[in-house]
Amino acid sequence: MQTVFFYVFAALTVLCALMVVANPFSRNPVTSAMFLVLTIVSLAGLFVQLHAFFLAAVQVLVYAGAVMVLFLFVIMLLDLKEEERRKVRKFAVIAGGLAVAIIAVLFCTAIGQTTAGIGVQPILEGGTAALGELLFKHYLLPFEILSVLLLVAMVGVILLSKKDLK
Amino acid sequence: MNAFSYLDLLNLLGPETILVLTSLAALFVDLGALRDQPLPRRWLAGGGVTALGGLLAILWLTNVTAQANLAHGILVVDPLTQLVKVVLVAMLLFTVALSLRAEFTEHVGEYFCLLLLATVGMMFLVSSEDVLTIFVALELTSLSLYILTAFNKRSLVSAEAGLKYFLFGGVAAAFTLFGLSLIYGLAGSTNLREIATNLAGKGTDPLLMVALIMVVMGFGFKIAAVPFHLWAPDAYQGAPTPAAALIASGSKVASFFVFAKVMALGFAGIEGNGAWRQFAPGWVPVLATLAVASMLLGNLAAIAQSSVKRLLAYSAIAHAGYMLLGLLAMSNPHRRADGMAALVYYITTYGLTTIGAFGVVQIVERTGGDSLENFAGFSRRAPLVAVCLMVFMLSLAGIPPLAGFFGKFYLFTAAAGAEPGNLGLLWLVIFAIAMSAVSLYYYLQVLKRAFVAAPAEAAIAPVVSFMERLTLALLALAVVVLGALPAWLLGPIADAIKAAGF
Repeated sequence: MQTVFFYVFAALTVLCALMVVANPFSRNPVTSAMFLVLTIVSLAGLFVQLHAFFLAAVQVLVYAGAVMVLFLFVIMLLDLKEEERRKVRKFAVIAGGLAVAIIAVLFCTAIGQTTAGIGVQPILEGGTAALGELLFKHYLLPFEILSVLLLVAMVGVILLSKKDLK
Repeated sequence: MNAFSYLDLLNLLGPETILVLTSLAALFVDLGALRDQPLPRRWLAGGGVTALGGLLAILWLTNVTAQANLAHGILVVDPLTQLVKVVLVAMLLFTVALSLRAEFTEHVGEYFCLLLLATVGMMFLVSSEDVLTIFVALELTSLSLYILTAFNKRSLVSAEAGLKYFLFGGVAAAFTLFGLSLIYGLAGSTNLREIATNLAGKGTDPLLMVALIMVVMGFGFKIAAVPFHLWAPDAYQGAPTPAAALIASGSKVASFFVFAKVMALGFAGIEGNGAWRQFAPGWVPVLATLAVASMLLGNLAAIAQSSVKRLLAYSAIAHAGYMLLGLLAMSNPHRRADGMAALVYYITTYGLTTIGAFGVVQIVERTGGDSLENFAGFSRRAPLVAVCLMVFMLSLAGIPPLAGFFGKFYLFTAAAGAEPGNLGLLWLVIFAIAMSAVSLYYYLQVLKRAFVAAPAEAAIAPVVSFMERLTLALLALAVVVLGALPAWLLGPIADAIKAAGF
């Protein structure tokens, strides 16, 4: 049963992610944003299967909720029109398709021949207390580095998007 | 899960903390106090604050001796990491000294802030043996460098280079992350040494090989090895010159150091064999292929360049090929220390030389551009700077007694001796020597323009500030002294490696 659910959610995630960037039916950015919501929700399903219930809830609340609202705001504020269709170059499609096919074959054979790894025992059972403990003790340093990373992103966004007045 | 004292953590992370605080100070000083001041004064103030922070960090690094391995390798502090961090901060200081007369932007505070935070990312990268921290630090470094590449908002080339770097970097990071998660699934740990222990019986499991290739892709992108090099020429050309200098030096040092650690520690036991006609799957043949491709394409493509920044980019690709030899030398656990010493010596001297070369290019750019024609008769227009250029170019080509020669010498002997007795990697060393002979051609092309060709009629003498003169002279002196007395650098490196128990 677990495996079935995994494959369902995994397929949904990949399919929706594909629709975000290459939707054959619509070139509207709002549609892309909506498919991004679906991608995030399917990802949350995968988190549930890993017993990371809190993470799944946060994923839906923060990403599918708050962040997506911001995305939509930006799209509406910029008043984006339907994206222009780029001319598809035959050579690029053939080369890209070939590369993807080769990688897919390599992957499938590799996965078919591999022996199961050690695997990872879930160290968290969903609770927020355990998560906080882990974040502020064992993984304190990567957590703090991420805060510096966010600072860099903020400075960068302001710098690159600001109009130079002078 | 072991708890540790936060005070200990702060003590071990002193230099990084200082640099983060300095970056905030640079922002506040520039945006708060100096907003209406003339631009040159703002550059000077921002550079002063940054340099002060850098010097404090170096003082801390050289005076506070600490050795610790916190939380299963999430933070590793030992003499070797401290030494590499000193090198990184020194490279930051040289970059800052070269940017003081920059004119490409009015966002002085943000510029220094990002330079500092990029360096902080590199320092975290160096002092970790846990793939989670390594990935996060890698992202911190990359993100800062993307923004620095696109920093010149008046230039379309800069924006294009930034976007290209960002897109390539994003895809490479995705591959690394995928590879690392496959390894986490196979080994059940994020610590490099534990990964090696847990993977011991796996041999050449196909999925493990897929994961290995994916990890190599990500790091191959950072070190600009062929075929993951496509961003490098554009980024080097489009980025503001001091930023390009940092990308070519500091980022290279940190990436190579951590790449070596991941390969030699994390993938210990699946080296395979790269000896001629005895190939066996593992990371050695993979890296040997990358090395051959990088040396070949880098050196041959550099010959055809007319822009000196692009030439330096292709030369950087070729040098990445040479440096991969250092990684290959570390495949033999008994000779690992030799390989590491040769690699650290090479990346340090190479980084210093490249910063110098970019400093000279920046001066030439003021007279019109960075194409080879702009170098014509440069020795008559700015004799001292031209002499520095000669030192840097000859060192990059590997002419004795400059540092570049000894770097190559140690690297090649370490690689040749990696498998004692049968000289397995000798074919690669011979190829590398042949390719460095090719590289002499394009380095001499630049020098020929500078020293032999007559200057163009309208050529003007470039303005060179005192700080630039001093920095370039110092760098050239360092290249000569480290070449003439390599033990000055190799001695501390060897001691640090021994103390770190690498």
